[in-house]
Amino acid sequence: MGVFEALIETTIARWHGIKAPNKPAKRLAAELTDTITAFEALRGTMVFEDEPSSFEAALQATKEGA
Amino acid sequence: MAGLADITLIQAADLVASGEATSLDLLHACWANLDAVNPQVNAMIWQEREAAEAAARAADEAVKSKQKLGRLHGVPMAHKDMYYQAGKLSTCGSALRKDFRPTVTATVIERMAAAGAYTFGGLNMAEFAQNPTGHNKTFGDCHNPWNLPYITGGSSSGSGASVAARFNYMALGSDTGGSIRLPASACGVTGLKPTQTRVSRYGVMPLSFSHDNVGPLARTARDCARVLAVIAGHDPRDPTSAREPVPSYESFMDGDLTGLRIGVPTNYFLDGADEPVLAAMEAALLVLTGRGATVSRFDLPLMDAVAAYGGIVSRVEAAPIHAEWMRSNPQAYGAHISARMYPGYAIPAAYYVEALSRRGPVLRAFAAEVFAKVDVLVTPTIRTCLPTLAETDIDHGPPGTEHKFMAVSANTRPFNYLGLPAISVPCGFDPNGCPIGLQIAGRPFAEGRILKVAGAYQLDTRWHWARPPILDTVGAAA
Repeated sequence: MGVFEALIETTIARWHGIKAPNKPAKRLAAELTDTITAFEALRGTMVFEDEPSSFEAALQATKEGA
Repeated sequence: MAGLADITLIQAADLVASGEATSLDLLHACWANLDAVNPQVNAMIWQEREAAEAAARAADEAVKSKQKLGRLHGVPMAHKDMYYQAGKLSTCGSALRKDFRPTVTATVIERMAAAGAYTFGGLNMAEFAQNPTGHNKTFGDCHNPWNLPYITGGSSSGSGASVAARFNYMALGSDTGGSIRLPASACGVTGLKPTQTRVSRYGVMPLSFSHDNVGPLARTARDCARVLAVIAGHDPRDPTSAREPVPSYESFMDGDLTGLRIGVPTNYFLDGADEPVLAAMEAALLVLTGRGATVSRFDLPLMDAVAAYGGIVSRVEAAPIHAEWMRSNPQAYGAHISARMYPGYAIPAAYYVEALSRRGPVLRAFAAEVFAKVDVLVTPTIRTCLPTLAETDIDHGPPGTEHKFMAVSANTRPFNYLGLPAISVPCGFDPNGCPIGLQIAGRPFAEGRILKVAGAYQLDTRWHWARPPILDTVGAAA
């Protein structure tokens, strides 16, 4: 088991008291590196927003005829 | 009555209202197919026949006594087994809830009952609505009526399979990452995921409160329009439900697509798509342009953000719902759910908040760019030819099986993060005889428009009328 995988399993066990239920769970947990990479790629696209960014307001603002 | 189970929901309601058929006729026609094919398909996991026959007789009596009838009067139904009816079984597809009887009734069930519909049992589903294939460790896998070794799509597996196998005129499904559109596509029926907040979720098993949606699977787009008009609208018991007015969706369906602008994404949605799927989509586009639409092709913006942010929301939101059972009884879950849920416990809160806080800005930017160019987007619902249950079996497959499993929902998940309405209509068959679906998505609350496009397509095609050969080979009578 790599360092990252061990860290994830330890974190989940310590914070939630949950153990990896099966091997596919361990494999998918190891793939959280892909999630980190995807979020890294989005860094710099976030801007400081003074207004609350309500999703419901966005639905209304982008509907037909709005 | 031969063929009575093959008609549409609207035809069924019309026949009952006119007295040309009784509700009991409809029920028995559905049960003839149910009895013949469910042992192989495994779409229905419990039944309530006496109560259903009593409801059918009451519906028929209302017709005879010329009472005012609702829009779904006398139509028998069964739904994904996660729509609560007080005192009735609602297993949520899990061993952990195999005896669960809720004390409340879902608003959507109440609204359909008020429109005259009644239920006759519960449909198979992925455990806790958490897989895109139809595997189920507790109640057994649901099998595709078109080709039994193949997946039905999930998580509303029994909803898609029961409508395809002609023992159900329509079924409610739920859609958190594609769970209405995927079984609609895989089983050759029509499935509508409404705009996020369009339909109340009160009394519906939760999975991800940001991404969960309630919607119909039925024979046709017009059937979906009828049901949506019944179930949509604000519900004080679900404060997240929109106050947007509910139009008569059927009135949009005039078949005229003159001036409609269709966009076909050239990035993401077609990556790794199989040739039969692409050919079916191109043929469908020809049908739509034949009714006056134009097609443009371009890269969609922000797909990296949609995929990254959308990819974590439902995993994180599902995690606390299941934490107690994941601690105390993890082996009660199939690997199809526990393996996917497990990493959700390690995703940092800051990532989750970032994903949610960016959802509105991403939708605004996406809509401003895309819907300035086009009115609707068209993609394959599933990019590839349908895989088998064995090929996507995480419990027993080799490492890497989980990737094939997750790939099934690649084209549907983005519209859950964006909150946009999307419908899947049948548009062909792959070389294995399994249906192919066409996904049509639009602006928020543009259900009328996407139903109009889907309805126009179904005026010129017959895919939605195709009948699984299993109904003939088992000698089903209705």
